[in-house]
Amino acid sequence: MTLTVKRNIITLLAMVFLASLLMVQYLEVARKQEEAGLRAHHIAVPSSSKNCVDCHKNVSPGIIDHWTGSKHAISGVSCVECHQAASDDVDAFEHYGATIAAIVTPMDCAKCHQDVYEEFSASHHAKGGNILASLDNLLAETVEGARVPFNPHAATPGRPDFDSKMVDGMTFAAVGCKQCHGSKVGLQTKDGGIVTVEELKPDASGKPTNLAILASIAKDKDGRPILDPSTWPNTGIGRINLDGSLGSCSACHSRHDFSPRRARQPENCGKCHLGPDHPQKEIFDESKHGIAYYDLKDHMNLDADSWILGKDYSQAPTCATCHMSANIRGGKITHDPGQRISWTNRPPVSLAMDTDADHKIVTETDPDKRREQITDTWEQKRNRMKQVCSTCHTTAYVNNFYVQYDNFIQTYNEKYGKPGTSIMKALKDNGLLTKADFDETVEWTWYYLWHHEGRRARHGASMMAPDYAHWHGTFEVAERWYTEFIPEVRHLIEDARKAGKVAEANACSQVVEEIMNRPEHKWQVNPDGFGAKAPEFPIRTASAGSN
Amino acid sequence: MATNPGWLQQRIPISPEQLREFTNEPVPNHLKRWWFALGGTPALLFMGQIITGILLAMYYQPSMLTAYESVRQITEDVSFGWYIRGLHKWGATLMIAAVILHQMRVFFTGAYRAPRELNWVIGMGLLICTLLTGFTGYSLVYEQLSYWGATVGANIADNVPVVGSLLKQLLLAGEVYNEHTLSRFYIIHAAVLPVLIILLVALHITMIRLQGVTEFRFEDEPEDKPRSFNFFPDHLYTELIIGLSLLVILTTLAVAVPAHLGPPADPLSTPEIIKPEWFFYVAFRWLKLFPGTAAVLSMGLVVVVMFAWPWIDGAIRRRQPSSELSVWFGIIAVLAIIGLTVWEAVVAH
Repeated sequence: MTLTVKRNIITLLAMVFLASLLMVQYLEVARKQEEAGLRAHHIAVPSSSKNCVDCHKNVSPGIIDHWTGSKHAISGVSCVECHQAASDDVDAFEHYGATIAAIVTPMDCAKCHQDVYEEFSASHHAKGGNILASLDNLLAETVEGARVPFNPHAATPGRPDFDSKMVDGMTFAAVGCKQCHGSKVGLQTKDGGIVTVEELKPDASGKPTNLAILASIAKDKDGRPILDPSTWPNTGIGRINLDGSLGSCSACHSRHDFSPRRARQPENCGKCHLGPDHPQKEIFDESKHGIAYYDLKDHMNLDADSWILGKDYSQAPTCATCHMSANIRGGKITHDPGQRISWTNRPPVSLAMDTDADHKIVTETDPDKRREQITDTWEQKRNRMKQVCSTCHTTAYVNNFYVQYDNFIQTYNEKYGKPGTSIMKALKDNGLLTKADFDETVEWTWYYLWHHEGRRARHGASMMAPDYAHWHGTFEVAERWYTEFIPEVRHLIEDARKAGKVAEANACSQVVEEIMNRPEHKWQVNPDGFGAKAPEFPIRTASAGSN
Repeated sequence: MATNPGWLQQRIPISPEQLREFTNEPVPNHLKRWWFALGGTPALLFMGQIITGILLAMYYQPSMLTAYESVRQITEDVSFGWYIRGLHKWGATLMIAAVILHQMRVFFTGAYRAPRELNWVIGMGLLICTLLTGFTGYSLVYEQLSYWGATVGANIADNVPVVGSLLKQLLLAGEVYNEHTLSRFYIIHAAVLPVLIILLVALHITMIRLQGVTEFRFEDEPEDKPRSFNFFPDHLYTELIIGLSLLVILTTLAVAVPAHLGPPADPLSTPEIIKPEWFFYVAFRWLKLFPGTAAVLSMGLVVVVMFAWPWIDGAIRRRQPSSELSVWFGIIAVLAIIGLTVWEAVVAH
């Protein structure tokens, strides 16, 4: 073999080698970029969903694009894996050869995420739909809207269809409350009614046991059960699903990419946790935590698989960090945020978060009976939160924060929460208020005081937001109390006395004046007694009040 | 005075004539062809690796707690750190590719034949040292893949009969990846192997100088043409052009395809896809095709055959003087290497 032939062999082999090297480097660089989150992962569409993806790429490309960027897509979890339904599921329908349901419930997600399902189902988030029977919902359904359909009273130019259609007064709740709290998902019946989980009575696996009702469900021309538009679309966190499961995973994880990155960011929680009565998102924004987050979010490894505080990041916390995520102090990830909350600041008077076996807040006041009912104490919950805090703060810092927080809650409870509740009860018990809520000014005043300003103040204190604790909080509570609530209550009592209800007026007056003569309210009548020197109370200190 | 030649010559007693004679070793004509200058290419790249490596070492901290963060700091915070890291990363890739190309050239032209068998053995030693330097360097980043790559590498070593367990312990500084592993890798990568490579390169060049470069004469070369040219400055220019071209290529790569950081090492979570660096794809694919010990033993046998090839080839040629078996053997080997590498690159698992 001549040297020229050998040279040609070397040249040829070297070219093939260099070409393969280029290709291998290209693939390797692409793989590393995928890992670093700089390039979308290569997705091999599973055969189970190839038809879905091919068609929806044209019909609704947004869905496919979101899914393509998801961990699900990388792991081979596609359309059918989540939307697949059994033929006897109440919302199932045939769709180009597959039996599917439009609504994916937590029970569907539990096929792969059983632990998460159980944690979430035990949480207050999952029970967010309970708002549907509360005072808040009374406002949206009755006071703001109307619980009964009513006739249109005037024509709407351009919309003649409106003239023949009854006005749906429940829509304020459907579009407002239920979008966060969750709707009770309903299917339309042939006679214009609604079938919900109550009628279906599903068993533990989500299958309806009341089979008789299935025939009454209305279907469209393609055989698709018709979802009631007042209940769907809905991604409320406490959605009450047709299979009996509670909640919606997409409330936080957003279909169809189910991005952990998004769920870790406060903006995601801010869909619901904002506004006048529970502005946690704004509270976070003004706290030192929020300020640090917005400055340093680029360094927080929000795409990390595990996202453990103290290991993957420590620049700042987000809502998820403190209330749900794992940390190096032994705190494991939970989908029940209530596991780390030691006070509930939702009601007019904050309650210690002792919970029973059903994860309900224990309201029993007898100490012995209370102890029997409790399965998870407020102190255990606080210690879990302290695990998070202590990743970045000293024990003394954390304990002193909780002293400040506890003192704040107790001051609110004792000065406004409990007294206000007593006064409203006295007015109602003595007939100075009608049975209907929100038909008298003082009821609105009291609602503003505890539900808006009082909650704001307490939440502000819980998350170290001074402006919400004070100016949007206790300042407005005090202003409402002294300039509106108490004067309005005294007017009511005076009016009752003039109307001949002397005994009732006296009974109420006794409650009010006893409260207003307490030391904490007496500054008005004895201004010299306070202010010059702080009185010495046996107040709680870190060593006495915290562990 | 530095300007006084007498002063300098007193202290360094080498005359310019001696120096010129020393450097002006006549270089065979075929070295004017670029593909014959591939021996200098890895040497130039190695020099680059030393310089960039020293710069990186100024910031790198070899411990499980600090390694990843220090690489992140180099990549994101340190001025031109991304560039130096990019040069180092791509320099390693090009150096390994250049060593392989050089070895291919030597193999196919039969330059390993008597009396140069020992220089082939030194070259094989250089190849192994280069691959080990690449492996240990990849592990220093302490990202998920480098951690798991090192763990898998140690487990492969564990499959070697008799000494496997000891090899694994020597590599990891214990039974499992521990707080001493990274510092061990660092010392091997930044001190032991570079010194070994320098010694082997020195030996390699000394042998070449002692034995002279293998001379080739192409069939189309006229008989009366001079058979050699001067090292200085002619061949040095060639090397200089190669060096400058490499710098351009490396800079382009470092800018266009910068070295990224994957997720940090997490011993508790195995990544879905574990792959070593590309130069171990051959071995990795081989290990996936055959069961543990058999694969390790057969790979070991391949390495032994490669070391012993000059003598094996000698034995063949003694029986069949005009045999071109080595060329065919080389073609099959190179195609097999390319095939296994590409196979491993394209499959997900």
